[in-house]
This record gives sequence, C-alpha cells and structure tokens, in this order.
Amino acid sequence: MRTLVTCAPQFEVALGDPLYPSHLAETPDPPAALYGFGDPAALVPGLAVIGARKATPYGLQAGELFAGWAARAGYTIISGGAIGCDQSAHRAALRHHASTVAVLGCGADLVYPSNAAELLAAIAESGAVISEHPWGTRPQRWMFRTRNRIIAGLAAGLVVLEAGLPSGTFSTADYALAAGRDVFVVPGSIFAPECRGSNRLLHQGATPICDVSELAEALASVLPPPATGAGAGWALASDTICGDEILAALRTHNWRPDDLARLLEEDIVSVARRIGILEAGGLVVRFGDGRYGGTPKSRG
Amino acid sequence: MAQCSVRTATVLGVEAVPVDAEVDVGAGLPAFAIVGLPDLAVQEARERVRSAVRASGFDVPNARVVVNLAPGPLRKHGTGFDLAIAIGLLTATGQLPKRIADECAAVGELSLDGSVRAVPGMLAHALAARAQGRPLIGPAEATGSLAIRDLDYRPISHLAQLRGGIPNSACGSIGLATATDTRADFGDVAGHELAKRALLVAATGGHNILMVGPPGSGKTMLARRLPSILPPLENTERLETALVHSVAGLDDAQALSGIRPFRAPHHSASIAGLVGGGSPPRPGEASLAHNGVLFLDEMPEFGPAALQALRQPLEDGFVTLVRAEGRLRFPARFALVGAANPCPCGFKGDRDRACTCPPGLVERYQGRIGGPLMDRIDIVIDVARIDPALMLCTGATAVRSTELRELVLESRAVALRRGRGETSVLSGGDLLAACELSIAAREFLECAARAHYLSGRGVTRLLRVARTCADIAGDARVTTEHLGEALGYRSREVG
Repeated sequence: MRTLVTCAPQFEVALGDPLYPSHLAETPDPPAALYGFGDPAALVPGLAVIGARKATPYGLQAGELFAGWAARAGYTIISGGAIGCDQSAHRAALRHHASTVAVLGCGADLVYPSNAAELLAAIAESGAVISEHPWGTRPQRWMFRTRNRIIAGLAAGLVVLEAGLPSGTFSTADYALAAGRDVFVVPGSIFAPECRGSNRLLHQGATPICDVSELAEALASVLPPPATGAGAGWALASDTICGDEILAALRTHNWRPDDLARLLEEDIVSVARRIGILEAGGLVVRFGDGRYGGTPKSRG
Repeated sequence: MAQCSVRTATVLGVEAVPVDAEVDVGAGLPAFAIVGLPDLAVQEARERVRSAVRASGFDVPNARVVVNLAPGPLRKHGTGFDLAIAIGLLTATGQLPKRIADECAAVGELSLDGSVRAVPGMLAHALAARAQGRPLIGPAEATGSLAIRDLDYRPISHLAQLRGGIPNSACGSIGLATATDTRADFGDVAGHELAKRALLVAATGGHNILMVGPPGSGKTMLARRLPSILPPLENTERLETALVHSVAGLDDAQALSGIRPFRAPHHSASIAGLVGGGSPPRPGEASLAHNGVLFLDEMPEFGPAALQALRQPLEDGFVTLVRAEGRLRFPARFALVGAANPCPCGFKGDRDRACTCPPGLVERYQGRIGGPLMDRIDIVIDVARIDPALMLCTGATAVRSTELRELVLESRAVALRRGRGETSVLSGGDLLAACELSIAAREFLECAARAHYLSGRGVTRLLRVARTCADIAGDARVTTEHLGEALGYRSREVG
C-alpha cells in the first residue's frame, strides 16, 4: 500500500485539544484523536456529500451540481474519498478552489483507494485528509462504517447523492440523525437499483432536494453561508448599488434605455452597459416591449 | 473559305462558359439554321444577323448557312451570340479579315440596323475572355464598367466598325474609383440612440440584426442608413459583387466603385426571388446583396419557406441551386437586417396605442421567423416610436454617418489585427481565445447565462457581440461592461 506524498503539514489533535473541532466533540461518540494532513482549522462545519461507490452518471452529475454549488458558496465539502460519488464531490470542490475534507477509514498517511493518490494530495493542500486511526493503520472493513460517524459529525448537513440497498450510506445517515444533523437526499429513479436506498431514505423522512435553490434554502437554516467563502460567483458590489442613478430611476418607473439616457444626460453606451450589468444581477428586468424596470429585489 | 469559328460565351450562374460559334457557308438551298440547343432568343438571331449584316453594308450569302454552337449539350440562351454569329458569317464569306475571329472573343446583341447592344453579364464575359487570354469585342455602351485594369475590352457601337480590323482597346488602365454611399445619413435621425449604437456594432462585427417595433417607429429609416457606415468593398469583393449584378442585368457600376449593395426585397418575394432560381437560373436577392446588406422589412410576413431558404447562405456564404442540368453556386455572403412588428396589429408595447391582438396570435406572429433563423441573428433590439417633440428639436446634434464610419473602420482594423476572422462567425475555442475573459467577466457571464437561461448558442452570440463592443472601445479583453452591453442586444426568446 502506497503512502501519501504531499507537502501539506501533518497534524494530530486529541479530544479536548483547542484545535479539535468542537461540533464533532459534541456528537455521541467522538473519536479520541484525529490524525491528518493539511490544516486542522479546515475542520469547520460543512456540507457532507456522500453516495455509493458504484455511482451512475446520475449520481456523479448530482455530486458535481450540489458539491460544486456549495463549494462556490463557500461551504467546506466533506466526504469519504471513496471511488464514485465521494470523489466526484471532492473534485467539484477542488475545481472551485474551495476547502474540502476527506475522512479516511485507514490511517491518513495511506493511499486508499489506490487511484486516489493525486486527489488526496490535492485535498490535503486545500483542506485536510483525516482519520481517527493512528498513522499506518491498514484498512479493515469495519473501519469504514465507523468513520462514517466522523463524516456525519463534522458536517452541518448531509447530502446523499445515490445509495443502493444495502449500503454503507445508511449508516452515515443514521449517525447524522443521531448527531442531530439534517439529511438531504437527491431523489432517484424508481427503476434504478442504485437509487433504491436513497429513495427509501426519502420515504423515512429525509428532505428531498431537487435543485440548487432547494439545497440553499434548506442549508441556510442549519448553516448560514460563510461570509469568507469564495463567493457564489459574480455578484454586484453592494456599494455600487446604493448610489446608482439608473437603478433609482428604474425602481420608480419603466424606461427605455434611450429615454433613460436622455433623462440622466448620459451617453447611451454607458447606460446600456449599466443596465445589462444590473439585469444580470437580477435588479432590473427587461419587458417584452424593450422597457426595463426594477425587480422586487431592487426595492428590498 | 467556307467555315469559321468564333469564340463567344454563355452565362451559367455567375460565370461565362466559353462557347464556339461555328459557321458553315455551303452549297444548297439558301437557308439559315442554328443548332446546339439554342433557346428561342438564340433562334431569332437569324433574323437579327441577316438584317444587321445587310444594314452594315455587307452581303448576306445566297447559300446554306449552318451555325453550330459548341459544346452541343450545353443549353444556350439569350441574345449575346448575335455578334459572334455575324463575325463568323462575314469571315467565312471573306468579308472580314480572319484575324478578328482567330484572336478575339465576341459578345453582343445586334439590332436590325447593325448597332451592337449590351447583354446581361458583360462583366462575366470580360472575365471569361481574360481567362482565355483573348480581347473581348462587345458593345460600346458597356464600356463604363469594363474599362478597368487588366481587362482587354474592344468596344464597337456598330457592326460596320469591324471593317477596320480589330477595334482599339478601351482605356484599360484606370483603377477602381472609391465612392461612398451618401444617400442617407444617420445625422438625419433624431433619437434612437440605442438602435444607432446597435447598428454600429452590427456594421463593425458583421452581425445580423433584427429590429422590432411598431409601424412608423423608424426601423426602415434606420436600416437604409446602414450602408452609409459600412466600409467600402475590397477590390476582390467589388468584382464578386459586380459580377452578380452584371449577370442579373443590373447596373454594376455602384459595386465597382466600392459601394456595398443594399437589397430590400418585398415580403411577397418567392424562394427563387430570394435565393435564386428560374430557368435559366438567375441570382436571387441574397446573392445580389453579396458583400452587402439584405434588408427584410416586415420579416414575419415573408413566406416561411422563403425565409428558411436563407439559412444556408447565412451559414455558408453561398447558395447552391441543384437543377436537372446541374449544380450552380451563387455567392451570397451578406449581413441580414430584419425589421418586424411586435404583433400583427403592430402596437404591442406602444406608448400611446393599445395592442388589439389576441394573446396567442402575438406569440405565433413572433414565432414565424423560426428558431433556426433567429439563431443566426446576433442582435435584437426594440425600436420605439419617438416623441414627436424630440423629432422636431434635435437633428443637428445627431452624430453624422461619416464619424460613425470612421469608428467602424478603426474597430474593424482592431478586429483584423487579432487575426481570427470576422467576429460574427467566431465560435468555440477561437471565440473564447479572442475574448480573453477575465475571471470577473467569466463569472459575470456565468451569472448572466444562468439568470437568462441562455443556451450554448445564446452564450456564443453574447460573446461575439461583446467582442465587437470591446473592439469599438479599443479594449483587448472583453470585460463585464462589454458583456453588459451585449446582454441588452440578446433576443427575447429563451435561448
């Protein structure tokens, strides 16, 4: 078994240590110590995104979508580093330069699964690769089940992408419920055996998420979007909004760009540019006849 | 000698195909026969040639005359063979020196009094003669557009002039003069600043544009002013465009002087009228607008089949007509300018008048242009009726076409230096590379695309227009600002 090659620093934190994540310590059965590579400060409450190893393209795409969105919004993405859904979630986070944490079932210095050497190294550099087992502990079947309680404990919310029956994903969901974490499930096809487990979780009362806005809404109640995140893409700078004459005019009345330019005595090009930017920001809207007006968002 | 062959040509598409007029004067009952798949106009050459020869003071032989137009399988049409047949007849009977038939090509229609008239496609004939290294003898009235560099044109106005041997060459050394279209000026248009700006962008990047607005809002007036800000035709473009006009029997002088064609077919135009057709196949409006502007006023009123027929030329820059006799290719690379009412009654969104159309009809009306065609239109703008007071008070302050034209020329030079071809046809990796989006601009684009449900093609169109906006501003990179402006020009349909 290969050992992990990374330039990220090694760390060990024990229960009671100030660096030990406090939200993990509050769970019913916290690990006695965490061994890992990377930054222990990355172990903040985040979004766990997990699913079956035998993932279908559906599960991988769902991972890409939800983990990608959460990463852009600044959430830390937590998963198990396993083949399939887990790795797709980690990759989505890395692509958006967000922090991501992999919780392994073996010692954190061992590469398992064997295809993950580069991925684990990248994760260690952007967040952390951790384990409750001492350095060099070789993987055993039962270890993966117990590490699932760490994934659930570190997360504020858990997204299940895809799970068959039986599945280890169930244990993570159980641990999450035991730790008082919300469980979100991506609904799957009723014909797909790969989705039977996840659909059963829905039947048992998990929250279905069908698009990004649903996840955003559900997540906002348990974990407000981090202020220091990478930012959810482009957004209008708030200081440029308040003094904006064009927006002020469009809030009160619907105007054509031509009339607006004449009213404000500005040239048409700068007015057209500004309106386009405001429109992309969702503050103004174009009507069918070419007029623009302010949206409810611009008034709130 | 009793036989003579004279080189002439027939127009096929936008090319003149060489044809030999072989004349045989032999023994037998006096007769005059023309063979070689002639149409009725060619058959009638017999009477014209006979009268013209006699009126020019030559003799018509009292013998059996047979004219064969070779190659035989090619259909011959039109009246351009008259001159060649007459020269062949006169040379075969020894009334003209043999040199004329041996060294020159001849095209022209004869009138009964022996004078020589022009036929459509004189420019095509002149180019074909040049390709064969022969001087072309033709009507003097066509000299105007043929007196250009490296065409050896020998004009005659009367058949009798050939008595003196091969006629003198028309002065063939003048280069092409450059003129600008000053018939309509943007300076005369009050208001409509956004529309003018959009037309400036369209002219710079070669984008197709659609203007939507109620009747009387000035769409046609704006479109007619577009040629005044277009750059002059390049030398090769002039010849291409003049050639199409020439074979269609239209005046080719404008195209030769560098003025881009502006074609505005009526909405009753048929498919053949729009993209070419008929027998013999003639270029349609799309080809006549080659290197220029095709303006379709009341675009949804055009026949759906005729409109959809424009998709191929918009994509490829030419029209291929497939007929039983073969395939013909007409050049048709044009900028499409469309104008449409927002609804059948025309007043949807008008400031004063209410629209009286039932709701479903409006969608159907707007859908008549069709998705695939809309996909090829980069810029869509709304043109509103302007305040009458505004129309009366400005005018002096409006920017003149000459200034806009300067701007177009400069911006096109910027785009040209980038060296990736015309902006309106960029796509994929080339387009992204040309745009050099910053991270902020990229994120803005993602955000805008998501907010407006833009498809891949929608994003491509947005980027193209933004690239042109940046060219006008002289920026090497496309920024959020340029994308913001381009966003205002997107079509209202989803995608």
